[in-house]
Amino acid sequence: MELAQLTQDLETLAAETATALAGAPDVASLDALEVDVLGKKGRLTGVLRGIGALPVDDRPKVGAVANRVRAGIEAEIAERRAVLGSAELDARLAAETIDVTMPGRPFRHGSLHPSIESMFEIARIFGQFGFVVHESPEIEDDLTNFQDLNIPPDHPARDLWDTLYVDIPGHLLRTHTSPGQLHVMRTMQPPIRALLPGRCFRYEAIDASHGSEFFQVEGIMVDEGTTMGDLRGLLDEFAHAMFGAGKRTRFRPGYYPFTEPSVAFDVECLVCGGPGCPACGRSGWMTILGAGMIHPVVLRRGGLDPERYQGFAFGMGPERISMLRHRITDLRLFLENDVRFLGQFR
Amino acid sequence: MRVPLSWLREFVDVDLAPEDLAARLTLLGMEVKGIERRGTDWANVVVGELLAVEKHPNADRLSLTRVNMGSGEPLEIVCGATNIAVGQRVPVALPGAVLPGNRRIERTEKMGVVSNGMLCSGDELGLNADADGILILAPETPLGAKLADLYGDVVLDVDVKPNRGDALSILGIAREVAALTGGTVRMPAIEVADTGEPIEGRLTVRVDDERLCPRFVGRWVDGVTVRPSPDWVQMRLLAAGIRPISNVVDASNYVMVELGKPIHTFDAAAVARDGSGRAGIVVRPAAAGERLETLDHVDRALDPEALLIADANGPLGIAGVMGGAASEVSNATPAVIVESAIFDPVSIRRTAFRFALRSEASLRFEKGQEFRLARVGADRTAQLILAWAGGSVARGAVDTHPEEPTPRRVAFRPARVDRLLGTSLGVDAQRAVLERVGIETEVSAGPIGVAIAAGPTPESVPAGAGHAVLATIPTWRRDIEIEADLAEEIARIHGYEEVPPRRPSTQMPAWRETPLAARDALRGALAGAGLTEVVSYALVSARMIEAFAWTVDDRPAAGEAAREGAPVTVTNPLSMDHSILRQSLVGSLVEVVDTNARHGQTDLAIFEVGKGYGRVGDDSREWWRLGLAFAGAMEPPAWNRPRREADIEDAKGAIELVAGLLGSGVPKYTPLGDEPILHPGRSASVESRFADGSLAIAGVVGELHPRLAEAWDLRAHRVVVAELSVAGLAGGSLTPERSVPLPRFQPIERDLTVDVPDRVAAAAVTDAVSAAGGSALEDTTLVGTYRGHPLGPDERSLTFRLRFGAPDRAVGEAEIDAAIGTISDALRENIGARIRS
Repeated sequence: MELAQLTQDLETLAAETATALAGAPDVASLDALEVDVLGKKGRLTGVLRGIGALPVDDRPKVGAVANRVRAGIEAEIAERRAVLGSAELDARLAAETIDVTMPGRPFRHGSLHPSIESMFEIARIFGQFGFVVHESPEIEDDLTNFQDLNIPPDHPARDLWDTLYVDIPGHLLRTHTSPGQLHVMRTMQPPIRALLPGRCFRYEAIDASHGSEFFQVEGIMVDEGTTMGDLRGLLDEFAHAMFGAGKRTRFRPGYYPFTEPSVAFDVECLVCGGPGCPACGRSGWMTILGAGMIHPVVLRRGGLDPERYQGFAFGMGPERISMLRHRITDLRLFLENDVRFLGQFR
Repeated sequence: MRVPLSWLREFVDVDLAPEDLAARLTLLGMEVKGIERRGTDWANVVVGELLAVEKHPNADRLSLTRVNMGSGEPLEIVCGATNIAVGQRVPVALPGAVLPGNRRIERTEKMGVVSNGMLCSGDELGLNADADGILILAPETPLGAKLADLYGDVVLDVDVKPNRGDALSILGIAREVAALTGGTVRMPAIEVADTGEPIEGRLTVRVDDERLCPRFVGRWVDGVTVRPSPDWVQMRLLAAGIRPISNVVDASNYVMVELGKPIHTFDAAAVARDGSGRAGIVVRPAAAGERLETLDHVDRALDPEALLIADANGPLGIAGVMGGAASEVSNATPAVIVESAIFDPVSIRRTAFRFALRSEASLRFEKGQEFRLARVGADRTAQLILAWAGGSVARGAVDTHPEEPTPRRVAFRPARVDRLLGTSLGVDAQRAVLERVGIETEVSAGPIGVAIAAGPTPESVPAGAGHAVLATIPTWRRDIEIEADLAEEIARIHGYEEVPPRRPSTQMPAWRETPLAARDALRGALAGAGLTEVVSYALVSARMIEAFAWTVDDRPAAGEAAREGAPVTVTNPLSMDHSILRQSLVGSLVEVVDTNARHGQTDLAIFEVGKGYGRVGDDSREWWRLGLAFAGAMEPPAWNRPRREADIEDAKGAIELVAGLLGSGVPKYTPLGDEPILHPGRSASVESRFADGSLAIAGVVGELHPRLAEAWDLRAHRVVVAELSVAGLAGGSLTPERSVPLPRFQPIERDLTVDVPDRVAAAAVTDAVSAAGGSALEDTTLVGTYRGHPLGPDERSLTFRLRFGAPDRAVGEAEIDAAIGTISDALRENIGARIRS
């Protein structure tokens, strides 16, 4: 074997390989070609097998050529592989294309009832103010629901609470959460800050703004120097937390037998912001809750000395708060449990 | 309380626009609920005089009138009413007028004659309910005047709070207006020209129980002519919401609205005479069996709880509530007895409630009346009857209790008032404020008792000399009895806006666990898992109570109350649908499912955290439960997903979620079988226990029994329900999770498939595997089931994935093989399972 022949063979292999590479349709044929040419038993190895027949002096020369050819082929294969691989990936990606505009697979989403959520939200806000939650029974006795709250039997103020009575003598369904004031005063010692949420009942025909069953949240704060100014300051903070910072508020006189003085607490109309609109009865204000300084008789019935301790109580309807926040116009929706309504609160 | 401003202005000057007056009264505690403008729809209605009333040439039932409008040519107007006559003054709606109800008046032709407008009835003007005849105005009514100028008015609807009975009157509201404007209240001159015979020869009054009737003032008017009141009186009463009846009755109602004193008038001829010819009135409780036909012509059975105005022959009226028909003043009444009495408020209230006869009068009586008003009201009524119905007023009055109490004096400590309000008004400012509502004050020179509580348990505390102020309360302010009442009065008149807000700076109370914590976490988890929270009525129907009474034993979770006792029934229910307190949630939830199905919402997953109620003897019981209900598709179909119906496993999944939340063990289900509410083959009792063995969750889960679904006419095909006692609902919080170290050695999983007869519950197999698996068996999970060849018809195979591991070592193959061997032996021997290799 002559040097020239062997060198020629190597060049031929390089050329043929280049042609084959150019015609390789895909990465797989490229892989096959690589094995065929550069593999252990490949054609390059086959050509080089002739090296042994060369004179010793010529061998390095062939080696150099062989190395150049090998490097060249390897580079070409790598280059070709990159091209083919990218094309193949492109093809695969193209084949895998889907219509991404189609909607997703639906998750079930639940919802929290707006009455309860509003009640819990009120509790969370007052919790930040140091109020603890206390619950008491819904089946109350007349004594706690009325008499110990300074509402004697046959008192005209009873007109404020149309009552549902039950077949347990002397018992009724609590008309408000106010009896909780007494339960709290009887179980906690001042300083008291307590929040009393729960279900209440009234003998009241059901319409857009009245219900026979509804929730209420009562709050009570008692200490030696708790004043009406504290009540106003606290309620202002609550109004800001619930309805937005900077909302204007006002006190106006109210009437409850168990508070003296009694007030109604208004916040500026959430719809019109003050000028007056149908939502606020053109007054510019919306009533949020009733409150007042706890009547001395109630403090005494709660076991506290009215000369030493003073404090305030307030009560609000979470449904009412929810109606104001979510612009709900009909109270009946809260107990109808129509999922088309409930599903709006997530 | 409806307050016509024209009437109010007689008592006090009002320079404010109605809206401003309303806003200021509201801030004073007299909340104005509405402002009504009367006469805004009387445009183009003027006063005319009938010059001629002739038969319509072409219609028997119509008249052709000629009406003088004061200026211009008289107008020809066709009219169908029969009460008109020449010379009368009547309201005339001219063409272009738009009457109430958007009724347009145009020049029209009626049966061949042109009518240039319409003569109006009270009904057509929205003034009263009289639609039969034309409203005949007083002869002195100015011709051509606009009716709106004469009788238009602005009426404030004031919500008077129950403690302010004195403000249920024009006078009372006028006092409030004076307090806010600084004006002066003008009282009408109440003087009776009682020039007749002495009343002693006409009337005697005997009160049997002074407690029930502390005062009765009687007046007597002879020779009255009963007819309609003057127009302006009728208009005024109408504006105040009172129906005019006759001059005599109107006089009493006028006094009620004006002064707040309900008055009754009797036909004196209907009252029995004594031997001396005097009418004898007795105020006494009714005797059992007595009856009375009241003014509304209802024959009523009386009982001793009712206080009567009676004569020797029997009842004349129910005191303070309603008069009797027989002694009603009529056109034939020759003489009138005026009753102006004070009654026990509680007695009146009870009686009015019992007869369902709460009237304007009883409403005022039951709030208590100023003692003095009995006399003033009697005089005022006699004065008005004389003015409107003529006759002569008998001299003097019969008065069972002429002595009038002196004004009450209530002491207060200005420093205490400031401490309560958080103000620093001081003595002088507080006294000046009280002055504005007619409360005179003086600083107490010596030590004095300050009343801090009134009512059944009065209480007073001593105040040293100079520390208290003594306030003299006007007799009409019956609501001011103690120091706190004066504090309110001071705050109210001074203005609540003047109370400086401050954030509370008192001591922070000790921390307490909130009872809402676990409930809130549970709600969040279930809503997060796709369930909708509902809140249903606690009051349900008897039918629901009966149909959804669990027979399965109740086991409350740790710290929770048991379901016990008989249902609690409302004795005065609003409706039978809401008359009994529920004992379970499941019925309410089924109803929610059904209601929604009727709205087309059939795919439901809902939960409620609510209470059940019961009574044990005379003690009430309340217990918290979690209710779940599923119906329709749990996974509604989508383009990329088939529909999947909700089934019991969704409910169980939710229960397992709750167990995970509580950190309690995997729930165990036991077939229930005999609970009538549930499908016998698809229901289970469920329990999950905490590590200490106490119950975390206990209850039932299953499909609603088809018979029940049918009885309730349910639209939903299948409903899965659960009702559970869950630890923490009644209070308490979730215990913090206890972290375990992550395994250092990879656990090894092996699957084990066993063939068992259907009668062997999967839970039993699981238990058997767990029991036999040894300490390295960490978990046993059912991962697959199979039925069919080569199994028998009543067999299935269950595949469990067993996880082996240990915290401190690698578990070897040999140990696992040995454990599986033991498990297999146990399954073969104890439950007859075949093990697949």
